Amino acid sequence: MSIGKEEVVHVARLAELAVSEAELQKLADQLSRIVDFVAELNEVPADTSAPPFQAGPAMTPLREDIVSPVPLARGPGSFAPVFIDGFFVVPRLGPMEEE
Amino acid sequence: MTWEIVVGLEVHVQLATRSKMFCGCAVTFGAPPNTHICPVCLGLPGALPVPNAQAVKLGTQAALALGSTIHEHSVFARKNYFYPDLPKGYQISQFDKPLATGGAVQIDSPERGPMNVSITRLHLEEDAGKSLHDRIPGKTAVDLNRAGAPLAEIVSGHDMRSPGEARAYLTALKQILQFAGISECSMEKGSLRVDANISIRRHGDPKLGVKTEVKNMNSFANVSRALEAEYERQAGLLESGGKVQQVTLLFNAATGTVKPMRSKEESHDYRYFPDPDLPPLVLAGSWIDEQRRSLPELPSALRVRLQAEYAVSEYHAHQLTLDRAVADYFEAVVREGTEPARAVGWVLGDAMTGFSEGRGFPVAPVRLAGLAGLVQDGVVSQQAAKRVYAEMETNGESPGAIAARLGLLQVGDTGTLGQWVDEVLAANPGEVARYKGGEARLIGFFVGQVMKKSGGKADPKKVQPVLLEKLQT
Amino acid sequence: MSSGEGEKRGGGDETARETGARLAAAESLNATLHWSQEALNAEGSRVDAMQQAGVLHAVPIALKDNIVTTGQPSTCASKILAGYTSPFNATVVDRLRRAGAMIAAKANMDEFAMGSSTEHSAYGRVKNPIDHDRVPGGSSGGSAALVAAGVVPVALGSETGGSVRQPASFCGVVGVKPSYGRVSRYGLVAFGSSLDCISVFGDTVLNASRVLSVISGHDPLEATSVREAPIALPAMRKDLKGITIGLPREYFPADLHPGVKAATDRAIATMRELGATFREVSLPHSKYAVPTYYIVAPAEAAANLARFDGVRYGPRHIEPPDGDVRALYQTTRGTGFGPEVRRRILVGTYVLSAGYYDSYYNKAQQLRAQIAHDFRAVFADGVDYLFTPTTPTPAFRAGEKSEDPVAMYLADIFVCAVSLAGLPAMSLPIGRDAGLPIGGQIIAPYFQEPGMLAVASAVEGVVDATAEVRG
Repeated sequence: MSIGKEEVVHVARLAELAVSEAELQKLADQLSRIVDFVAELNEVPADTSAPPFQAGPAMTPLREDIVSPVPLARGPGSFAPVFIDGFFVVPRLGPMEEE
Repeated sequence: MTWEIVVGLEVHVQLATRSKMFCGCAVTFGAPPNTHICPVCLGLPGALPVPNAQAVKLGTQAALALGSTIHEHSVFARKNYFYPDLPKGYQISQFDKPLATGGAVQIDSPERGPMNVSITRLHLEEDAGKSLHDRIPGKTAVDLNRAGAPLAEIVSGHDMRSPGEARAYLTALKQILQFAGISECSMEKGSLRVDANISIRRHGDPKLGVKTEVKNMNSFANVSRALEAEYERQAGLLESGGKVQQVTLLFNAATGTVKPMRSKEESHDYRYFPDPDLPPLVLAGSWIDEQRRSLPELPSALRVRLQAEYAVSEYHAHQLTLDRAVADYFEAVVREGTEPARAVGWVLGDAMTGFSEGRGFPVAPVRLAGLAGLVQDGVVSQQAAKRVYAEMETNGESPGAIAARLGLLQVGDTGTLGQWVDEVLAANPGEVARYKGGEARLIGFFVGQVMKKSGGKADPKKVQPVLLEKLQT
Repeated sequence: MSSGEGEKRGGGDETARETGARLAAAESLNATLHWSQEALNAEGSRVDAMQQAGVLHAVPIALKDNIVTTGQPSTCASKILAGYTSPFNATVVDRLRRAGAMIAAKANMDEFAMGSSTEHSAYGRVKNPIDHDRVPGGSSGGSAALVAAGVVPVALGSETGGSVRQPASFCGVVGVKPSYGRVSRYGLVAFGSSLDCISVFGDTVLNASRVLSVISGHDPLEATSVREAPIALPAMRKDLKGITIGLPREYFPADLHPGVKAATDRAIATMRELGATFREVSLPHSKYAVPTYYIVAPAEAAANLARFDGVRYGPRHIEPPDGDVRALYQTTRGTGFGPEVRRRILVGTYVLSAGYYDSYYNKAQQLRAQIAHDFRAVFADGVDYLFTPTTPTPAFRAGEKSEDPVAMYLADIFVCAVSLAGLPAMSLPIGRDAGLPIGGQIIAPYFQEPGMLAVASAVEGVVDATAEVRG
């Protein structure tokens, strides 16, 4: 068993995912199964003979510095869950707050 | 101080581009909330980033101005964390392969004299939006106009040993970046932001102490204050047998204190990895050389040139280069025919007062040169010229016309001067008698009285001969 | 489907009516998430009003629901995007519409394209039109099912690790994945950004090719878009003379499903008759493709899905008490994402977290390089294309692999390596076993889509894809 309940709690917190106590064990089991499966790779001897792989172009293109935003067919008020006076609105940050 | 303070600074500067780092939205300041947003900087599903060429260019020039090594191959990485004004849940930054490393900034330490502060790295990244806690009661309001604005983060070595050195570094850094046209560097507008890393140790101890990070300083003066406050806090902890914890603190400018952020339940684990939406940033060596060649003159070089070319003093050269605009104005005034020494006087004197107050240089160089010429030719006195200058800041009339309208043209004709001299001599018979009795130094008193009588209009150089002549008789 | 550019006008209204009728009749498959007769009619009128008939004039097309459109919601089959309609169109959508295609429906899928059976949709599983008890494959199962059921001739899906080829194989249709970067990802909701490719289902190779020719080509809005011309329509060929096809031995294991083996053997024999030369080759690192994929894709997904936080769009499942934005995040994400998505976010977060990066993410990157290098070596050694089975078995039964995520992952064992290498590949129906379709996979070097499609069309012309391969 590579992943315990504590580790699930830690990772879920990093990912900001609510995980109920009831499902912790099942998740730990499933994640262990997946992580043990992918950990097979660690048995493959290190071999860096192949050049590093880069999907797509070898280098990024650059955009000219021109003001040309992709227009929004509908404003943010149409898709935001809470939008007041031009602002996206969330609960106070609580423990994350800086002031 | 029993303890030595060790300071490193992380400075974020907003690069002076038209559009954002990864999208075509305008970079603005003070626009109505959420009016400069698009799928990319809103982090809408399906949107993708494309880097801004000008941001790359300015970042490269900034690094070159700091003497850093530009890496031909650098990599954008995702820095993962959740915050309401971070739209994608990650910030596109650079991590293990930054744009540039190395370099140094020369500073004048108040304690140690001229020294170098090393630059560890410079990397490109995008800004977050703004969270406003005072707009809607009990809620946080998020404005994403700033989200995606291009930033360079400049990380210094832990080379500073006093708040004064930190301030000197910031001043020098800002100066270089402004000179090179990289950034407006306005702390007020948030285009320059500073985070400080601080630890303390006993003098002579080779080992660094546990460092803390202080944020939320909105001026260079407050950076010094915050460093002092954090020094006191850490010293207090250690002296009372406590330990310094690795925390992030916020500076409160109103109270001058630092306070740990409320929540630090877990250390940050940003899970950096190369951004798969962005292939490596590859810059040709020839392009980097071209940027190096096209760098504008930097403050240190300009200081040397001002001293050589205009024979200004080292002190004045320093004052003239505190802001690129000052040096430019000075040189323009000289080009209009003013003697450099006079130009220094005007630019660092009356003109500087307005500039320091944020009014810029409203008097065109040619007009200031005209005024300086009037003084040189004795048309107006230095004293009167200051009044003329004050008018010129808001009035487009020629300096001569202003001086005439205000009645400040110097009077040099012997008839008028003779009349003023007669009146002064008549009003001060005692002094005349003492002068004639051998108290020659009283000549200065008579000149002063004539100047006073003339309301400053008499040409002092011409008053004395008339006085001497009349006193002979 | 339209016979070509500029020849035919009108027909949009009629297509709208007929397509609507077919969509309604196919409702029991649960293959669509959003469509309406009204929207179809509007599309019909739009294309009828076009001055010039494009390559896809009045062709109805279904889009996987992770391709954003301003005209219909785009939910990625997730509750976290319930009701979300994008304020911008994907680049491919603009290109399709300009070419005269009619956006007919948004197709059901595995939530956020994570799955191999289209059972992981928040809106219910999709049925395989051939056998309703079986899965259509995934994650683009809705798109595959709509083409297989004859509702639309063509549909877009997306691939991250085989999500078009595998369902194409299970449903008996053509599925083509282009080279990475050749079709714009702008407007494709990201899953694994270094792997994601918008891909095409077609009832025939030619129809799939037409769609590819329209949607491919450089897009300045995407930094990973390659500067290649659009994919040319293949020169249709009747023989395979002068073509060398490699058979990678790792893709023909001894325990290969007998029906799949029979079908691929028959296809190989057919291609040999057409003049192709075969050669056994080796791709030694392909056996690590699935574990490599299940590190790379979840790591990228964990970051890509961080934006679904309930702040800017999507429903909030709670309005938490003041002073707790983390409750907003955790509840929105915890209840908005389904079990498979949550698992992958957790795995992706885990492999990137402090202390594990090197042993997982870095190791996976190294293996990815080796896997890609194997293909490069084979193609550099005189092999023009590779041929393999698309899947190890025909379509499995719904629920069969739900309990063990890893068993489900292994359904992609033959398609994953290609995705990691970014190569173009396709699945072509090559026969049936006990009534279930079997697909053969053709893999090509970078940007050799037209040649690959030409080979496929030659095979398509002579293989009876609906014939039983055993007995």
